[in-house]
Amino acid sequence: MPQLEQVEFFISQLFWLGVFFVILFTVLTYITLPRIRAFLNQRDDFVKSHISKQDELIKKAESIIENYEAKLTEAKNQASQIINDAKDKALKESEDLIKATEEKIQHEIKQTEERVAKEKDTAISELNDQLKDSATNFLSKVTNIEKGNINL
Amino acid sequence: MAKGESPLKQFEIQPIVDINFLGFDISFTNSALWMTITTAFILIFFTVPFLKAKKTNSVSDLYPTRMQVAAELGFNFINSLLADTVGKEGKKYFPLVFTLFMFILFGNLFGMIPYSFTFTSHIIVTLALAMGVFIFVTVLGFVKHGAKFFSFFVIPGLPVYMLPLLIPIEIISYLSRPISLSVRLFANMLAGHTLLKVFAGFVSALGFFGILPLVFIIALTGLEILIAFLQAYVFAILTCLYINDALHLH
Repeated sequence: MPQLEQVEFFISQLFWLGVFFVILFTVLTYITLPRIRAFLNQRDDFVKSHISKQDELIKKAESIIENYEAKLTEAKNQASQIINDAKDKALKESEDLIKATEEKIQHEIKQTEERVAKEKDTAISELNDQLKDSATNFLSKVTNIEKGNINL
Repeated sequence: MAKGESPLKQFEIQPIVDINFLGFDISFTNSALWMTITTAFILIFFTVPFLKAKKTNSVSDLYPTRMQVAAELGFNFINSLLADTVGKEGKKYFPLVFTLFMFILFGNLFGMIPYSFTFTSHIIVTLALAMGVFIFVTVLGFVKHGAKFFSFFVIPGLPVYMLPLLIPIEIISYLSRPISLSVRLFANMLAGHTLLKVFAGFVSALGFFGILPLVFIIALTGLEILIAFLQAYVFAILTCLYINDALHLH
């Protein structure tokens, strides 16, 4: 087996192994691996910063949604308020109108009644006067007494 | 493979450039060549996609390129492996585990290329890596806990009369860690490549019926690629567990 027979090359193999291993180790330790690590860290940082930025944007969007919803509810409330006001106003107006109309009607009824009563009174008094006249005429003719002297 | 050639010939070390330094033979061999290729590939694969200056003007600048995704996959794999086994303190040891995993993984994978050389199939290489890990975690344990580190060998909640039996067992199991760690990787690579070569030999030997071992080695190659991943993973996760032991004792 050459591995155990070629003893004369042991030193050479050990020497070159040492040389190349040390070269490899040194270059990797001080040049290659820090570069790779820096590269990976940079990418990680970039990704992390973007994730935090994204979180920020999500928060912003959420606050905007909240704001929008608050405004929406406010507007809805206002709208229902306006509708209620209008309803109340309309109701009141119609009630007023009804009331006014009723009053007017009452008033007119009352006036008419008054007029009717007045006319009735006038009619009765006129009738009375005419009756009195007729009676006076009748008496003066019957009794021959001057009309002016008869007092009923 | 020529007839009569040993299936172990693929593991032979061949010097490419003879170098002698202070009497030591440190020739640049085929093993060192594939270590060079592995090291260069890992460095290019993980560094080049991230060389471009970064700007973050828009989202599209942060999209990773295909090569970056591939490199990040390896990075995140080891990252989560360490996080799962050691926890947050494990971050400090990330470069070590990453280097070990990638070096072994691509060493194994490049060994799957025909006519290449698998340096992880040599016990001296895997033992050196395992000993490195062993010494590292032992020193780490002593630095973190001082003399209290020896309490690692005493299983808590055990009756006192069992201790003389169990402390030596614990010490032996601790000391055998580098051996099991290195032999596992070495033996897997050795056995897999040898098996592939043996069955490849049958292809030419059986003539027309060589199609059967050919189909078999195709399937076996897939299995070997899986093992290449698996052994690198096992090496890395055991390193993580040893680091965890050194940091937290029990």
